[in-house]
Amino acid sequence: MNPVLIASVLVLIGLALVLIRTLRGPGVFDRILGVNMIGTKAVILLCLLGFLEDRGGFLDIALLYALINFVGTIAILKFVEFRRLGA
Amino acid sequence: MRDQVVPRVIARMLIPYMLVYGFYVASHGELGPGGGFQAGVILAAALILHSLVHGLEETQRGVPRRWVDRTMAFGVLLYIGVGIHGLLAGNAFLDYSSLALGATDPESIHGAEAMGMTLVETGVTLTVAAVMVTLFDKFATAARR
Repeated sequence: MNPVLIASVLVLIGLALVLIRTLRGPGVFDRILGVNMIGTKAVILLCLLGFLEDRGGFLDIALLYALINFVGTIAILKFVEFRRLGA
Repeated sequence: MRDQVVPRVIARMLIPYMLVYGFYVASHGELGPGGGFQAGVILAAALILHSLVHGLEETQRGVPRRWVDRTMAFGVLLYIGVGIHGLLAGNAFLDYSSLALGATDPESIHGAEAMGMTLVETGVTLTVAAVMVTLFDKFATAARR
């Protein structure tokens, strides 16, 4: 069996576990961390799918997803901490 | 948030690469994933990250509001200009081949089509980036109340 496919399935299982933590998470920071980790796992999954189908364009999308994920996490954290985005 | 060292340093390392990546996506759209809209969003994300970390006023000192508004209008002007140029040359709206300025050999037509697509995509990029920055600006100032 293709090792890349096995890795993708394992990442998907991890994604499901993180999703449970995100939905249940007792505090808001658990949820933010869960969302951030879902984004990171999406990046890994995009890279693996790119290798699986041998399409280099997936790496571009993964890079973009990593950048946007970071900006989004910073924005949510700032809003939770300071209740305003501007300052 | 200016006193937070980690986001400030990460943002300083990340913003130039985000801008370069935005221009890469804009200029590479026909060969890989991407295009004008995505490139505009990436460019705007770089500015949004800067204003998240350094504050809105600091960003607007470098990129004033009136220039964002002008960029927004200029992108649409570029798009419409290419379209109207096709109309004025006697072809259909957005007919890129009229950008060859009368030359009819296949080489020139091909170059004109590439040029027209690049101009239109540049217009989309500028407008989308400016609109995204304006949207964030509105959200940020509305949440201040």
